[in-house]
Amino acid sequence: MEAAIPASWPHRTRPALCLLTVAYGVVALLVVAATRAPQNLGPSSYAGTSRAAYAADLVAGLSLLAAAAVALLDPAGKRLGVLAFAAGVVWFAPDWEGWPGGPAPIRSLGAAAVPLLAAPFVLLVADRPRVRRFGLLGVAVLVAVAFARLLVRDPLLDPYCWRDCLSRTFVVHSDFALARGLDRMWELTTIALAIAVGAGVARRLRRALAPTVVPAGLALAAAAAYAGELLHRPQENPLADTFTDLFYARSSAATALAAGVVLAIVRMRRQRVAVSRLADDLGEAPEPGRLGETLASTFGDPTLEVAYWLPRAGHYVDSEGVPIEPPAAGNARAVTPIVRGGNPVAAVIHNASLLGDPFERELGPAVRLAVDNERLQAEVRSQLEALRSSRLRITTRGDSERRRLESDLHDGAQQRLLALSFDLRLARAGAAADGNEQLVAELDAAVEEAQTALEELRELAHGIYPAVLTEAGLAAALATLADEAPVAVELSVPAERFDGPIEAALYVAARDGIDDAARRRASWVTVVLAGRIRLTIEDNGAPRPSPLVHVADRIGALGGNTTFGSTTLQAEVPCG
Amino acid sequence: MRVVVAEDVMLTREGIVRLLRDADVEVVAQADDGEQLLRQVRLARPDAAIVDIRMPPTHTDEGLIAAQRIRSEHPNVGVLVLSQYIEPSYALRLLEEHPEGVGYLLKERLFDVAVLIDALQRVVEGETVVDPTIVARLVGRRRREDPLAALTGREHEVLALVAEGLSNKAIAGRLFITERTVEAHSKQIFLKLGLHADPGSHRRVLAVLAFLRQF
Repeated sequence: MEAAIPASWPHRTRPALCLLTVAYGVVALLVVAATRAPQNLGPSSYAGTSRAAYAADLVAGLSLLAAAAVALLDPAGKRLGVLAFAAGVVWFAPDWEGWPGGPAPIRSLGAAAVPLLAAPFVLLVADRPRVRRFGLLGVAVLVAVAFARLLVRDPLLDPYCWRDCLSRTFVVHSDFALARGLDRMWELTTIALAIAVGAGVARRLRRALAPTVVPAGLALAAAAAYAGELLHRPQENPLADTFTDLFYARSSAATALAAGVVLAIVRMRRQRVAVSRLADDLGEAPEPGRLGETLASTFGDPTLEVAYWLPRAGHYVDSEGVPIEPPAAGNARAVTPIVRGGNPVAAVIHNASLLGDPFERELGPAVRLAVDNERLQAEVRSQLEALRSSRLRITTRGDSERRRLESDLHDGAQQRLLALSFDLRLARAGAAADGNEQLVAELDAAVEEAQTALEELRELAHGIYPAVLTEAGLAAALATLADEAPVAVELSVPAERFDGPIEAALYVAARDGIDDAARRRASWVTVVLAGRIRLTIEDNGAPRPSPLVHVADRIGALGGNTTFGSTTLQAEVPCG
Repeated sequence: MRVVVAEDVMLTREGIVRLLRDADVEVVAQADDGEQLLRQVRLARPDAAIVDIRMPPTHTDEGLIAAQRIRSEHPNVGVLVLSQYIEPSYALRLLEEHPEGVGYLLKERLFDVAVLIDALQRVVEGETVVDPTIVARLVGRRRREDPLAALTGREHEVLALVAEGLSNKAIAGRLFITERTVEAHSKQIFLKLGLHADPGSHRRVLAVLAFLRQF
């Protein structure tokens, strides 16, 4: 049924359908009024049984038609409008059949349409592909039964007829048994549909549902109960309590459904207004990184998330550029891809039923542009993040290489030199015992050489990597730095430990800052570590001609930043 | 004198042992890590232990830890830590808990047997030994407002020797002055620098080193 509705409406179709709805409503009102006329043979419709039933009948049918008109006037309300219109038309079918003195063809058509009432309810409830396929099949059966019934049911032969026992305009072959069989068939089909489709609704009841689904489910249940009662008691008696109660149940559900349709249309409209306002907002002041929040508040779905597609990286990221799992629908979550210029740019993960109408269509060009911008920002962030971790890896790797080298120098070359010096000393003792003055002098010189080599080796190792930094921390390492510095260094560094890469970077910053100050002929340097974590280096040297790139690199590798004044340097790193 | 030697590099350890034996020091045991050292000290009850600062398993500060444990578990065993680092922070750490009977010497002191033997004797006698190179670095450090500028040349000399852990008597011997004069100098130094430690105690080494490190 839905597939038969054209994707785009000719401009005049909607007002024409609306007009038809209103006209039908007016005529139906008159027909129902006619069934109220006193009759000798008892009531020919439920409306004729009592004032309350009359009101219930009219309110249900007319509100369905009114809801259909409201929906048809909305550009996005096509499906709801057509289904509500169908429900309204079929609702009055029994009244057409029971129209005292009405034209026979119309009364015959009314009788034929009675089994069709469940069809629009089924289509309203079955909003999921698998259920919808089953629903469409059931509806096709109902339509076929109604048509066949029109051709074979001769009310003259029907002992149970009570609305109309004369009109037989379309009967081509009157067969009472076949007509009864067809009646059983539509009753059973209605019950089967209610069970199959209604079960789906019951399963989803706990989640937020579109306002039409619950009343449509109730209407379907009422229709099924009516069908069940007919199965049980083929002779329908509008004055019997059960049938009367079922009639009220059916009309209440239909009225609720009409209200639901209007509510759904109003909600969609409000959403559209919100989206257009959102588009304005985004056009005025695009707030980087906040699009997800803005969409969430616009659509009233706090769980709404936006995942941005990075075609080059081939994965989705969040607005911070952090890779995330590809969004998947399920568990009441729906995924709406956002396409711009034919390319996917993002996916919005949102509450499936909250945004009943196709969400993507609501997004105007401004929103699409904002999403694309946001995606580009996320892409840049993601690349920055990758770059930053790569920088950190490189410097950390460099530091650990230096540490290894330092340790190798101590354990290898230095120990060998020490061993050599012991041998030299032994040889010298031997030479002294032999009284070989010249050899003693030469060996003394050799020992001195070895000692100098050892000292130089120690300085070299310390320059490659200060072991004390790893073992005793930044404060101790900087104190040693101050001991050796060619300028007076005043330290104010707490004896606190930080992550290895942070300590190494701050050490390098202080070392290079002090060296730089010395080059600029400063007589003193102050090094202050404060806050979390800010190193400030100040001196009284000549103005700095250029910033210290190596320091900026080391601090930048940690995601920190460095600011250079003419005689100041401030390095700030985020806490490990 | 009976000594235990702890050093994980065999070449160096054998060199040290030979050096000590040549100088008539009795090496009663050898160890190549901290745990073994403590065991040997417990068994052999030596007068002193010579400990390499870097030992297995982490090759960082095992020597310092072992030294502190020996000092607290065996108060009459002196400990001489040999280090390749001119790091006052290690020396201070060694002295902080037990300022007596410990020494921190650079490894190249092994070239001069006399210095090594002297240092051993001093730690055995409960004195403190800090390598002169480290003290020279600390004393010679550049300062924005140098509190040491208030000291006379002789007071400077005395300060350095105090920092090295020498007793007044040893300082007097070194500078060819009387012990009484050394006492007067050190009182004056402590007054000028505003140090509160008793200039006659072992604690004074730590106080002076901490002061030099800080200012």
